Amino acid sequence: MEIDKIIHEPARLRIMMILNGLEKADFTFLATTLGLTRGNLNRHLEKLESAGYLKVKRSFKGKVRNTSYQLTREGSKALAQYWENLDAIRQSGQT
Amino acid sequence: MKGAIIMNKEDHTPRDSDKLKEIPKWSRRYAQNRKLTVLVLTAIITFIGGFVAFPISLGIAAIIRGDMLVTGICAVLFTAVLIVLIIFTFKFGDKNRGLLDQKIDQWIYGKEGTASLPTSRSTKKKWLDVVSGIAISICILGSMYLAMDGYLSFKYLQPVLAVCFVPFLVFQYFLQQPRLGPLLLLCPALYAIHAILIIAGVPIYFTGTFAVPLNMFLPLFGYTFLAYIIAHIYSRHALKKLKVIAHLEGGTANGD
Repeated sequence: MEIDKIIHEPARLRIMMILNGLEKADFTFLATTLGLTRGNLNRHLEKLESAGYLKVKRSFKGKVRNTSYQLTREGSKALAQYWENLDAIRQSGQT
Repeated sequence: MKGAIIMNKEDHTPRDSDKLKEIPKWSRRYAQNRKLTVLVLTAIITFIGGFVAFPISLGIAAIIRGDMLVTGICAVLFTAVLIVLIIFTFKFGDKNRGLLDQKIDQWIYGKEGTASLPTSRSTKKKWLDVVSGIAISICILGSMYLAMDGYLSFKYLQPVLAVCFVPFLVFQYFLQQPRLGPLLLLCPALYAIHAILIIAGVPIYFTGTFAVPLNMFLPLFGYTFLAYIIAHIYSRHALKKLKVIAHLEGGTANGD
C-alpha cells in the first residue's frame, strides 16, 4: 500500500486539509492557523506547488501584496487517495 | 505516485487522523461565519439608507400636509445625500469595486489572514438576483407609499414587508451558497417571528412621524446585526477548533 510522501508530512497534510474546506486562503491565514514560521511554511508550500497540488495567486490588496493558495484538482484527488490508502492500511491492521 | 513510501500494516498512521479529517469542516465553518466585514458594510449601507429614507418620508409627509418649507428643506437634504452617494459610488464602485470590503476586511481580520469560499458564477443566478432585487424594491416602495397615504396601518407595515423580505432573504442565502453559514438564516427567522407576534397582538411596532422608516428598517437592521454578530462569535469558535486540530508543535512543524 503506497502513501504519498509529499502529503504524508504533518505540516503539508494540514495545509492541504485546510485548503480542502475552502476555495482559497492566504499565507497569513495558513501561518497563524498552523503556528509555522514564515520560512517553514514557505518551504512546505513550495513543495506542494512543485508537486502540482497547489495553485498560487499573487495580487495586491490596495498597496499590500497578497499571496493566496488553492488546491488544484490534482491536489484534491491526491488528498482523497491519500486518505483512502491510509484508511485501508488502518483497516487491514485491525483485521 | 510522487515520492511514494511503502507502509506496512504495523507502520504508524497519522495520529488522530479522525480529528485531522475534521479540518476542512472547521475551515469551511470559519470562512462561512467570518461576517463582521459584511456587518460593517450593512451598517454603512443602512446608515446611508436612513439618510435617504429620512428626507423622503419627511418630505412626503410635508407634501401631504401642504408644508412647502419642509418639503423644500427635504428636497435639498435629499439632493445632498444623492451627491454624497454619487461620490461614494465613484470612489468604491466600478473598477474599485470590492475596495471598500477589502479595506474593512483588512481592518477587522488583518491579523488572521484571509480564507474564503467560492461565489456563485452562474449567469442564471445573477439574473434571479436582479429580478428579486427589483421585486423587493417594488415591495419596499409600495409598502412605504401605502403606509404614508394611510392605506396600510403602521401596525401591519412590518408584517406586510415580512411577506417580501423573508423569502427574499432566504433566497439570497441559498443564492450565495456555499459562502454563508446556516446561522445567518436567523435574520429572516427572527423577522418572520416579529411579524407573527405583531399579528398576534404584541405591540412591537412604532407610531408617529417616523413610523414608516422605523417599522421598515429597524427590525431588519436589528436582526441582521444580531445574526451576523452570532455568526462572527461562531467563527471564533470554529477558528479555535481549527487551530487546536491543525496547530503543529516545534519538531513536527519542521518536517522534511
